[in-house]
Amino acid sequence: MATEQKREPHWAMVIDQERCVGCWTCAVGCKEINNEPLGVWWNRILTASPNEITGEAAAPSPAAPASDNIDVPHGVFPALEMDYIPVACQHCNDAPCLRVCPVGATFRRDDGTVLIDYERCIGCRYCIAACPYGVRVFGWGQEKRDPDFTVGYGRDYRTDGGRLVFTPDRPTGVVEKCTWCVERVDEGQQPFCVDVCPTGARVFGDAGDSGSEVAGLIEQGGATRLLPELGTEPRVFYLPAKPERSLS
Amino acid sequence: MSAIEPTLALPKARDRIVGRGWIVALALLALVGFGAWIYQLTQGLVVTGMRDVVSWGMYIFTFAFFVGLSAGGLIMASAAELFGIRSLRPLSRIGVMTAAACVLVAAMMIIPDLGKPARVWELFRYPNWRSPLVWDVIIIVVYFCFASADLIVMTRRGIAPGRRGRILRMMALVGLPAAVMLHTITAWIFGLQISRPWWNTALMAPVFVVSAILSGTALVALVALAARRFGRLELPDETVSALRKLIITAICVELYMVGADYVTILWGNVPSERAALDMILPGGSWQWVFWLEWIAGGLFPLILLSLPRLRRRPGMMALASVLVLVGVYAFRIELVDGGLLKPLVMLAPGQSMGSFTAGQSSFQLIGNYYPTWVEFAITAGMMAFLALLITLGYRWLRSLEAGHGAAEPEGAGG
Repeated sequence: MATEQKREPHWAMVIDQERCVGCWTCAVGCKEINNEPLGVWWNRILTASPNEITGEAAAPSPAAPASDNIDVPHGVFPALEMDYIPVACQHCNDAPCLRVCPVGATFRRDDGTVLIDYERCIGCRYCIAACPYGVRVFGWGQEKRDPDFTVGYGRDYRTDGGRLVFTPDRPTGVVEKCTWCVERVDEGQQPFCVDVCPTGARVFGDAGDSGSEVAGLIEQGGATRLLPELGTEPRVFYLPAKPERSLS
Repeated sequence: MSAIEPTLALPKARDRIVGRGWIVALALLALVGFGAWIYQLTQGLVVTGMRDVVSWGMYIFTFAFFVGLSAGGLIMASAAELFGIRSLRPLSRIGVMTAAACVLVAAMMIIPDLGKPARVWELFRYPNWRSPLVWDVIIIVVYFCFASADLIVMTRRGIAPGRRGRILRMMALVGLPAAVMLHTITAWIFGLQISRPWWNTALMAPVFVVSAILSGTALVALVALAARRFGRLELPDETVSALRKLIITAICVELYMVGADYVTILWGNVPSERAALDMILPGGSWQWVFWLEWIAGGLFPLILLSLPRLRRRPGMMALASVLVLVGVYAFRIELVDGGLLKPLVMLAPGQSMGSFTAGQSSFQLIGNYYPTWVEFAITAGMMAFLALLITLGYRWLRSLEAGHGAAEPEGAGG
């Protein structure tokens, strides 16, 4: 048992699309705990037709969905369909961002969390070009907030030999993204999006522990990952909504 | 000053004034660009048109363009030595000087794109060997050192002509593969990315090599024609003819490769791959790059360089070279931003842009990019600086020759 406890966890997240109601609480919670400025979202709720993420999309919409709407059904009226896909960093096992980072500012901890060292990043944005999921954001200029004060965790957090992976005010000119709330997880808490989800659609835990809830959900079958054909092996799994539940 | 003056003097008084004005104008433009960069440093990259969807813009496609420009001269000089193409010999020195200047400015072009330019030294301190960017930095440094060394061997006094020829042939043996690798690795920055179907083609490296030869040759032709008009370069007809044939061949091969890629994507009809091409082909919102690449930079130069009536006039050759440069620049735009405009996961509401404007959505589904005045100023400044380096480099070569005396013409050792 003693060795069992020392084993490094392999974090994974499961998102149950059947439970997700598209309320954006996880996205807003993410903004608050991480003090994300105006115009920056590490976590977003995308809308798609059911099974679109597995490549079996329903009839495509005649027009591209407008980008200023958050709930955009797919299909042609009256045969409309819509599913929610909350998307933040997928913490891939074979992360393209990590491969391309010229200075190793993006790195992976042994527990599978992909992080950015804000003191190392040179701001070349190669990782943004390399990420298939579009989850990385750049500090284009002076951060703006309204109301203008710092919220959330509020302190610097260092890991893996002192690398700065969280700071409330990210420097201008570096790339940032979801950290799976590493500062909370290291203290035995859950990522904030998991804690605030009102429907319990998010489950976070040790996929290496066969008794854990995430491991059970992944093993029960039916879990999909975003763009699996790329071989990036994300550590975020989606449980698709049941077909009969879709709007029609 | 008076000792150097005679060798730098241009033939005619009017040309001398034009020459001075040219240098002053370039220096001023370069200063304006530098000023714009200082402004950008104080504000962050928010003053550019780039945002999180289209996260690479003018700086990167200009960088790729400059890297390509550096090909022509060195490949020409190396080919002249290795394969004994006598007609290209008169351009060896100008070619290698141009190559060194272009690759230097290409490396500088990366700096304004960086969010943290002060950390650029980390590329050498903490290199991630899996990143194509690290290899590109290395090959750029190697290439610049090599071109400089080549130039020193070509211009240094006191080397016997036969020995100089042997050294240059040996160096050409390294120079040619180095040039090919420079463009290949730069192409791989894009071509290896699985997240961008538009970039992810094995054709990327060969197309980069060919478009580099095309734009590089056009630049050397332009410099040589200007040097003949304003300087004292003797440009034999057979040299002009060789340049002309090289440009025609390179245009055809480049458009053939790009066209083959278009057909593969259109016939396959995979949505993620068609996404970018549909924007670029006629009727798409980025179709202007198509017209610039295929018509202005492809068909027109081909006509100008092929029709017997037109091709003998040096003005037409210069015009064709300028058009070719415009076309290759359009190709770089098509390539870099075509890959970024439509992300693989393109679902409403899209990605957050990273900046906020009151009353507007923070999200963007399909990328949108238009460079700001800051990007235009910095890029124009870099181009002016490149033209300045080439002009001064040419004058330096002329002054050397004047110092040598007319007994030793360019390309000595053949």
